Amino acid sequence: MAQAVSTTIALEPNLEWSGEGVSMNEVVATLSKIRKKFALAEAKETELPHPRNCIMTLLAVASTDAEERRAQRAVRAIGNHHPAQVIVVRDQPELRSGRIDATITTDTLRPQSASATQCELITLRVRGVAGDHLSGLIDPLLMSGVPNYLWWVGTPPFGKRELEDVLKICDALLVDSARFDAPYRSFLDLTSLVSHSHQRLGVGDLQWARLEPWRESIAQFFAPMDRRPFMKGISEIGVDYSGEGRGNRVAAALLIGWLASALGWKLEKAAGGTGGIVVAHFAAEGWRPVQVVFRSMPKAHLAQGEIGAIRIGGAAGGRTFNLSVLRDPERSHVVRPEVGAGGYRALHNAGGEDEAGLEIAQRKVEWHRDVLQENAAQLHHTATGDLPGDGRPQKPAIVVRERRRQDNSRVLLTMIEIGEAAPLRHVQHVEPEDEATLLLELLSHGTQDRVFGRSITAAAELMTSI
Amino acid sequence: MTAVAAANPLAEGLHDYRVGEPCLMVIFGATGDLSGRKLLPALYNLSKQRLLPAGFAVMGAAIDDLTDDAFRKHASDKIKEFSRTQPVDQRVLDAFLAGCFYVKVDFGKLDDFKSLQRRLDEMDTTRHVSGNRMFYCATPPPTYETIVEQLKAAGMATGAGFHRIVVEKPFGSDLKSARELTAILQRVFHEDSVYRIDHYLGKETVQNIMAFRFANSIFEPVWNTNLIDSVQITVAEEIGVELRGSYYDKAGALRDIVQNHALQLLALVAMEPPLAFEANAVRDEKVKVLRAIKPITDEEVTRATVRGQYTKGWVLGEHVAGYRDEKNVASGSLTETFAVLRLTIDNWRWANVPFYIRAGKRMPKRVTEIRIQFKRPPHMTFGTDATRELAPNAITLRIQPEEGISLRFGAKVPSAGLQIRSVTMDFQYMTAFLVETPEAYERLLLDCMIGDPTLFTRADEVEAAWKLIDPIEAAWRDDRPQLAMYAAGTWGPPAADKLIQQDRREWHRP
Repeated sequence: MAQAVSTTIALEPNLEWSGEGVSMNEVVATLSKIRKKFALAEAKETELPHPRNCIMTLLAVASTDAEERRAQRAVRAIGNHHPAQVIVVRDQPELRSGRIDATITTDTLRPQSASATQCELITLRVRGVAGDHLSGLIDPLLMSGVPNYLWWVGTPPFGKRELEDVLKICDALLVDSARFDAPYRSFLDLTSLVSHSHQRLGVGDLQWARLEPWRESIAQFFAPMDRRPFMKGISEIGVDYSGEGRGNRVAAALLIGWLASALGWKLEKAAGGTGGIVVAHFAAEGWRPVQVVFRSMPKAHLAQGEIGAIRIGGAAGGRTFNLSVLRDPERSHVVRPEVGAGGYRALHNAGGEDEAGLEIAQRKVEWHRDVLQENAAQLHHTATGDLPGDGRPQKPAIVVRERRRQDNSRVLLTMIEIGEAAPLRHVQHVEPEDEATLLLELLSHGTQDRVFGRSITAAAELMTSI
Repeated sequence: MTAVAAANPLAEGLHDYRVGEPCLMVIFGATGDLSGRKLLPALYNLSKQRLLPAGFAVMGAAIDDLTDDAFRKHASDKIKEFSRTQPVDQRVLDAFLAGCFYVKVDFGKLDDFKSLQRRLDEMDTTRHVSGNRMFYCATPPPTYETIVEQLKAAGMATGAGFHRIVVEKPFGSDLKSARELTAILQRVFHEDSVYRIDHYLGKETVQNIMAFRFANSIFEPVWNTNLIDSVQITVAEEIGVELRGSYYDKAGALRDIVQNHALQLLALVAMEPPLAFEANAVRDEKVKVLRAIKPITDEEVTRATVRGQYTKGWVLGEHVAGYRDEKNVASGSLTETFAVLRLTIDNWRWANVPFYIRAGKRMPKRVTEIRIQFKRPPHMTFGTDATRELAPNAITLRIQPEEGISLRFGAKVPSAGLQIRSVTMDFQYMTAFLVETPEAYERLLLDCMIGDPTLFTRADEVEAAWKLIDPIEAAWRDDRPQLAMYAAGTWGPPAADKLIQQDRREWHRP
């Protein structure tokens, strides 16, 4: 992943103008005055004002105070390093009094030997039904000839006219499916939008950008020519993710959707099991089966829905291989199988010395214990007439943690085992993933991402089939 | 260009994914200046961008008696001092250093190379590198022959996997020595495995010259003698010779900068479109244009070249010594620190378009740029009064610093009357692409690991360049033209102005 530029900016921007109950004409006229004032102030005695440089309009739509603050922080960080026009719209349809309050703040960037540039942040607080007609509000502010990117900070109103209208004047929609309110349903809506939107519209997902290090690590393993045949020898994959329920399986499904669509696998069937385990069966070329196991693995250091590990195993050309990519292995507690009898150790082989392997062993132990308990409860019911399970411990309470955090810098540990050779450990560090960095990542390469399109489609097929 | 990545279906859509096969990189001269300032920091930054494959390792090899840990400490210090990304991420650094090792090697001792070979063989299986080797000669050119012969004698240049060797400029000091060097390298390595680094070619903006020309439809139709008046290539440094006095006093600006950097820039500006952005297609076209440059004859050398040397002066507000007072420079040295060439290209596209090359040390500032000066319109519709302040159109390709491209054109001054003045449209790399520009060495090291030699110089390119330089060098050794002195902090001696003014042109001031 290319490194994004530093996003350190001054604490506070300059407040240039503020107005309540204003018209968009006033906003546009004021903006023009601010730009002219800056250009004249910067022109030296013998020079004409330097032409304004602008590479994009970045528009953020926020629905809450918290979203508005996040949007302002991120778009300022971007605008301050790249000459862009940035607009934050706070959509407040619930307020009855229909009016627009606006503020314009500026940050000035002075490179050492290039001309100074000014970044204006336009914040529109739109109350009442005016918010249903966002395109009409924003269109006068858009600059000709540069792309317009719409970042919907929360969950976009998929299928609503409000969104459809504004998408008509934008080149791309940016969302974070990891922050959707109803992640499962909204993810399917996003997939539908990707599939059915007009060709010119790009769609970017910050959650997809977060998967890039995982994709890189997996792609790197198969890069050497002598490992290329392994791609056709994959037989099993395990993905661990944090949180429970289908909504938290989005990132994992997206990663598997990427693999399946890249390698031409067809989904055969998928089914949920006990203990948060979901198994999907794919058919690779020549009907070769590939089994994918999704496991919900609670990890204190992961946000809900984040991927904790992926393991890919198989054999080709007479050699077996195992690739494990683990996130932040040193940050989690050391998990040891809670086994009382020594016999269990042999019964539940960890299958590897890494933490994920131990966790698999622990899960097998727990499953085995649950079966024993169920059998015991059934016997108890038969003997006493009490309801089955009455004597079992209550289902543990699910602690809901926030779905995303501001700074989630992380370590990816890749473990490679090929044939009989000793395992190779490879540690990689991933930069902190603040929203500005992820947005830059998506914007820097464009939002017409064919691989994302096919991966999200495959992921949606997988999720709906479970 | 990304042949390896393109064949991997999982690499599709990973925009910055360019990862080669795992290999062991041996740096000869690992404790030296180039390694510390450029190579190790570049490798660290590749690691930070997750572009080093699992299993990749660095094996330092030098005369110093160091342990692995001592070398890691040395590498850590250098990376912290010279990395382009600051502050250094300690976690990334620790992970990178874990893959750094060291072997003491006296280049004259075959046994040392055999020890090195044993160590590399041991690492082959533990690091899954399949015998892949990359030998980097971060040593003075006179050592290349010894290193290459020892690699051959120790059996290190053959076997499973790839075996690539990287050498730094200068590639010889004239045509004869360049050919000898090529012969030495090719005795052991196939030409496809020889990577001659001219770090200018790794700069993003240098690569962008080709993108600018061949990925746009509007520039190439005007890129010829019909509309272009002249081309100026400036490679200016504000620094003096610093610690390179003994080398520089033998080389001079002509060999140090013009023979490689400046002629490479000229080739990229003047070459015909290659069939593809592929190593041999690009380098074939560069060789063609270098061969089409009309050699400066003995008779022309006083009119078409200027050689200068700086005296004491003021640079960036500081008083600096003259060249002859620099450390390790002969007191009566006649070595040029400034060179101007006026070249022409004998082909259909560039007939009668002069290419002015200007390179020098102790100039007012560090700047490298290419100025494409267009002809004036054939008829001045607005009359001479209205266009008095209108300069001809120009495109400036800024290579460093403030990398970018600007286009100068005429526009009406807002007023009741009619006045046309020049304005500039500016494209700045640093702001337009939302990502930082990597160091040239990062790009080139990665290309070498991947096996992509597009941005490396081929033997015939080197020879074509020396064929142009040798006659000039011979005349300069005869003091023709005379060495012209210039004060440090100026744009060269008056003779440089005189050369271009005789063509009724002016130097562009960067």
